Amino acid sequence: MYDSKPIKIGVLYSSTGVTSAVELTQQRAILLAVEEVNAAGGVLGRELQLICLDPACTPHRYASLTEKLVVEHAVRLIMGCYMSSTRKAVIPIVERHNALLFYATPYEGFEYSHNVFYAGAAPNQNILPLADFMLSKYGSRVAMVGSDYTCPYEANRVMSDLIYERGGEKVSEIYLPLDAGLESFKDVAARINAKQPDFIFSTVVGDGIPHLHRALAHAGLDPYTMPIASHMTCEAEVVAMGADLAEGIITCASYFQSVDTAENHRSVRRYKARFGDELVTNMCWEAAYFQMHLLADAIRRAGSDDPTLVARVLPGLEFDAPQGRVRIDEHNNHAYLHPRIGQCNSDGQFNVIASAPGRVKADPYVVSHSPPGWSTHVEGAVVPPEGP
Amino acid sequence: MNGADVTHAMLKNIRALNVVVVHPQDQDGDELGAQLQRIGCKFQVFWPELDVLPVGTDLVLLAVRPETLSLRYPWMHRAATPPVIPILTFENPITLAAVLQLDAFTTIASPVRSAGLLTAIAVTMNQSKTRRARERYIERLEQKSVHHRIIQQATQIIMESRGLSEGEAYQLLRSQAMIKRESIESIASSLVKAQAALSF
Repeated sequence: MYDSKPIKIGVLYSSTGVTSAVELTQQRAILLAVEEVNAAGGVLGRELQLICLDPACTPHRYASLTEKLVVEHAVRLIMGCYMSSTRKAVIPIVERHNALLFYATPYEGFEYSHNVFYAGAAPNQNILPLADFMLSKYGSRVAMVGSDYTCPYEANRVMSDLIYERGGEKVSEIYLPLDAGLESFKDVAARINAKQPDFIFSTVVGDGIPHLHRALAHAGLDPYTMPIASHMTCEAEVVAMGADLAEGIITCASYFQSVDTAENHRSVRRYKARFGDELVTNMCWEAAYFQMHLLADAIRRAGSDDPTLVARVLPGLEFDAPQGRVRIDEHNNHAYLHPRIGQCNSDGQFNVIASAPGRVKADPYVVSHSPPGWSTHVEGAVVPPEGP
Repeated sequence: MNGADVTHAMLKNIRALNVVVVHPQDQDGDELGAQLQRIGCKFQVFWPELDVLPVGTDLVLLAVRPETLSLRYPWMHRAATPPVIPILTFENPITLAAVLQLDAFTTIASPVRSAGLLTAIAVTMNQSKTRRARERYIERLEQKSVHHRIIQQATQIIMESRGLSEGEAYQLLRSQAMIKRESIESIASSLVKAQAALSF
C-alpha cells in the first residue's frame, strides 16, 4: 500500500526497572499515535515504523542503545528517556550523529540542545504553579521528602525560595535512595508527623511513592488535612499504588485523563479500545502522544525524515493535543503547555481544581521564579469529600 | 624571563603535568582520557572517591555530577590544592553552586570534545600561577603593613617618653637597630611588648 520504504523511528522506553510503569504508558502512547498516522495513510506516502528497545532504566544502556539505533538501524529520530540521567546519557550521542531526541517527560530545566525537543513541563509550568497553589491554600510550613537524584534537589530549591519569600518555614528536607524500602519511609513519616507541617512536598519517584503514601497513612496522617503535593506523581503512579492510597494527593500537570476536551475524549477512547479498558492515561502519556503527532506533521512539512530538515520546521509548530492547543517554542525547543492543578479522588482520577487561563511558555532557564498570578484567582477551593 | 617567555615555558611544560582525572568511565571519560593522551599529559583516573591526592598532582579534572554532590574530597580547599577544572553535565543552580565552590578558572561542558581541553589546561595553569603569585604578594603586603603599624606604635612610645619629634624618635629607633644588629621591626616589636608589659 506504500510506495516507498517506511520511515523508522527509534523508541527508548524501559519495560523493566524502577520507572518502567510510566515509561510503558509513553511507549503505548507512541504506538497509538503511529497507528493513527498510518491508518490515515502514513507520512509522505510512507509508513511510520517503530523500533522499540528496552534500556531498563539504566543510563549507559540508553547511551549504547541510542548508538545501536543510529549505527545498526539507521534511525536518527528517537523518542524516549525518562529520568534526567538517561537523557543526559543520550544527548552526546544524538549531537554527535545529528539525530533528534523527543523527550516527553517533565524535568528540572536548565537545558537546551539543538538535538532535543522537550514536550514535558519545565519548572515554571509545574512546580511554580503547584507551590503557589499550596502555599496560598494550605500555609507555608512545609515538609519536603524526595528521591536522591537531580530533579528533587532542583524542585526543592525552587519550592524553598517560594516558601522563604512568604516568610514560611521548611520543617524538613529528606532524601531517600531510589530503592529505599517501606521501613525507611516509616521513619520519614514519623519525623513529618512530629513536625505537623501544613503540607508535604514530595519528589519521591517510582516504587518509593506507594511506600511514602502507605507510611504516611500508617502514621495516621489525613491527606485532606495535611495533603501531599507532588508534581512528579500522575495517574500511572496512582494505578501502581491504588486509589485508596493515592486519594487526596495534589499535583500540577498540563494533562489529566479527566481533562474535558474533544481531543482528549477521542484519544482516551481509542487508547482503551486498542490496549484495554482498564488502562488510564497520564501527563507523560499525553506528552509522548502529541509529540509523536507533531513529529509526523514535521516530517510531512519538511518533505523528508532528515533530522536537519525536521528540526527546521518543528519550532513554532502547533497541535491540538488532548490538553489543548500546544506549540513548540521558536527559541528553546520546549513546549507551550496548559498547567492545571488536580487532586486525586477515590476513583484514582484527578479533579481539576484550578487551571491556567491560557497556555504557558516554558522558561527552562529561570533561576528565581515569580508567582504565576493565576492559581489564586481561580475559583474552586479544595472540597473534602463528605463523611469520614 | 619576561611575561611572554614565562607563558611559553608554561606551554612547553604541559606535557610534564601530572593530571588526576576524577570522572566515571563513560563517553566523556573516554574522550578526556584519549585527548590527554594525545596532548601527552601523564594522568590517573579515579571515580568517584579519592581520599588522598597522588603526590605531585599539578591539575585535577573533576566531574561535578548530581550523584556526587554530597561527596567530600578531603584534599580540596587546602593551600597546596592544585587547580581544578570541573567537567559539567548539568547546568542547574544546584550544580552551579557546587562549581563555584571549586574556585575554578574555566569549566568543560559535557559532551566533552577534544577541542578545548588544551586551552582549558593552559588557561587554568596560567591563571593558577598568577593567583599564587598574587597571593604571595598580598601576604608580603600584609606583613609589611603589620611591621609599619608596629614601627609607628614604637615611634609613638619614644616620642611620648623622651619628648622627641616623630623624625627624631624614628632616627633613634633606627640607630638602636643598627647598634644591636637587628631589624628595625624587631626592635620596635620588643619596645611595644615591653610597653604593654609595663602598662598594667
